[in-house]
Amino acid sequence: MSEPTFDASSDDPAPSRLEVERLRARLAALESDHRRAFEQAQREADALFAQYQLSQLLASGGSPTDLGRAVVEEIVRLAGAVAGAIWLGEAGRRELVLLAVSGEFDVAVPGRFAGPEEGVSYVDGRAGLHLVVLGGEPLATLVVLRAEPGRELDTDGLRVAQLARHELAVAFSGARLREALERERHDLEAVVDGATDVILQVDEGSRLVRMNPAGERLLGIPAAAAVGRTCGDVLGCATVAGHEPAACPLAEVIRTGAPIGYRETVIAAAGGPVQVAGGYSVTPGRPGSTARATAILRDITAVRALEQLREGFVATVSHELRTPLALVRGYAESVLHLDLDPERRMEYVDRIHQVTSRLGTLVDQILDVTHLDADPLILERAPVSLGALIARLRGDLALAGDDGRLRVDVPADLPAIDVDAGRIGQVLANLVGNALKYAPGDSPVAIGAAVESDWLVVAIEDEGIGVPEEERGLVLEPFHRAWNVRESRTPGSGLGLYICRRLVEAHGGRLSLADRADGRPGTRVEFTVPLLPDARRAARRNGPERSADA
Amino acid sequence: MGIGEGSTATGVQGAPLPARARAADAGDGADAGLTADELRRGLARARRSIDRHAAALTRLDAVLGDGDHGDNMAIGFRAVEELVAGLPAETLPGDLLRAVGHRLVATVGGASGPLYGTAFIEAGFRAGEAGRLEPALVGEMLRAATAGLARRGRCAIGDKTMFDTLAPATDAVVAAIESGATAAEATRAGIRAGRRGMRGTRALVARRGLALRIGERSRGHVDPGAASCLLLLIALARR
Repeated sequence: MSEPTFDASSDDPAPSRLEVERLRARLAALESDHRRAFEQAQREADALFAQYQLSQLLASGGSPTDLGRAVVEEIVRLAGAVAGAIWLGEAGRRELVLLAVSGEFDVAVPGRFAGPEEGVSYVDGRAGLHLVVLGGEPLATLVVLRAEPGRELDTDGLRVAQLARHELAVAFSGARLREALERERHDLEAVVDGATDVILQVDEGSRLVRMNPAGERLLGIPAAAAVGRTCGDVLGCATVAGHEPAACPLAEVIRTGAPIGYRETVIAAAGGPVQVAGGYSVTPGRPGSTARATAILRDITAVRALEQLREGFVATVSHELRTPLALVRGYAESVLHLDLDPERRMEYVDRIHQVTSRLGTLVDQILDVTHLDADPLILERAPVSLGALIARLRGDLALAGDDGRLRVDVPADLPAIDVDAGRIGQVLANLVGNALKYAPGDSPVAIGAAVESDWLVVAIEDEGIGVPEEERGLVLEPFHRAWNVRESRTPGSGLGLYICRRLVEAHGGRLSLADRADGRPGTRVEFTVPLLPDARRAARRNGPERSADA
Repeated sequence: MGIGEGSTATGVQGAPLPARARAADAGDGADAGLTADELRRGLARARRSIDRHAAALTRLDAVLGDGDHGDNMAIGFRAVEELVAGLPAETLPGDLLRAVGHRLVATVGGASGPLYGTAFIEAGFRAGEAGRLEPALVGEMLRAATAGLARRGRCAIGDKTMFDTLAPATDAVVAAIESGATAAEATRAGIRAGRRGMRGTRALVARRGLALRIGERSRGHVDPGAASCLLLLIALARR
């Protein structure tokens, strides 16, 4: 401020020198007061701003670690320190846990800090450290700061940190709570998203509020597209199950408040109607949220199919076992109790032998099926030629005198195949056996083969009764026999083709039934087996090689 | 063209960018000193520039802060425009700057209000009762603003804040004036240094403000405060 001036022309008597001095001193004192007040106001404004910045940081959320890192940086800056660290008390534990460090700070603070009273900071002379306890129970917060050598910490900054201690404790409690909730949400999400059952939830208006990925897969609708629609619309139960909205189990649990432990219904899945078994529960409404019903639905189509299969299996096996057993018993009783002539007796014993052989085959097949359904098939693959497998089959047929009916039309230079010789030999024997069994006694059975890309296609053709087109897929399932075969009363279990198909598929191949290539009555069974890798390369070089087909 | 170097200057894809300031427009007649009228025109330019770039500033702040810097600054400088229109024509430059500072503290949300407010108030105090702001005085005013910002924000060079623009710009202006440069040359030097400082914030990890939370992830983005500070310097420097 400029020095006061006096008008010399004034009539007033000039003030005495003493008076001038006094006024100057007074002015200097006022200026000094004014400067102090101004500086004080500046410091208060700085402190308020610092407090605001720290509060903003504390309110900004984040994980405890992120928050700890930001807070310790801020407090180090506020206090004018060069380094610092922040420890937090663990609920239910006396030890403090290091949360974050700023600057170079390698001082280990005792795990258990029996520090001074809350809010008091003190200086540890030995390490040049300032320990500031910012919070008490239940969540103690300890900040340790290191000042630059020879410099004091900023007391205003420390004061700001001290003032924020309650906010700090609340912010860290909140951050931990958020972290715990986030972890729990993540775990629950993993359970729901990983479930193979459909889990969905509807509100009181039967509108879908959530659906898990299993639901998306079964229904073929993304959850985002399903949410907001009514469950009846999404599940299509009114259309496929024909039930009234009132019969909806989800609506029922919301209405009654009682859970439904098990109820079966039909829903419209992506691939058509699917039978599901469901458990239904309700979360009652609370202030701020309405009631919600949750359904856990399991597709039981496979279970039902398995049950049917099991029932069919039991019925068929009982029948197939009982019939020959009754025959054996009849012949045996005749032999035992009737006075038969030796020739007749031999004949009956021979019949018993035949029937028990059939029984043996049936039991083998049942064991095969059980084995195929229960275990993954272990194949002993090795290079083998189709010619060798046919030669072995011909040898077996020669024992029964059937080899004369076999017509083999297979090129001599067919590439080797990469198969389990025992298993594919079994397929060949079974298919040729079927052809011999279902075709007239003197008709030929032909085997042909051709290379198609990486595969050898083998075909067996007979002149038998054939398999009606509509039955061709079904006869490849267990225990299914075509109606014309059943009518022919030719004995059989309905397992042979199923076993063949499974064995071929285990090699990666396909088995199918077709009309004969020449269009005459009879059956053509075709299956594919993989060529050896070397043979595949050779086959690709030579182009498709077709044999004189069967 | 942008605050910095073109379409990627803000570090946020798609952010519209301000036209490059013609710092050279600070006429050579400026050596006679800035008048209050010229300051008023500079503040009006600042308002327009902030308005134009509010969305870009907000997008930058969405990455590093709480996503409101552009809006807050726009609100603040509209309030400043109203204030200035109501001040008597004879208001001295220093008083004008102090009034602007107080208005910014009161109207700009977040930390930017008190920080920019402090810078304007400190500069206004330093201007004292001068009717014209001569180059040497402008250098001292910038020094006062920089010191005030550092004190209130407890910030330093490299913290990734508006200080990274203001401090090098101030140093460059003061150095130019001390070496006998014209006002126009000093202004150009200041804007160049401020722009370099602002661009430099892209490589930095934030050590102040809300961006502290994201730590290393703050690297790769220009600080919104550094960007708005450059806009203000450019607007106020033009004649």
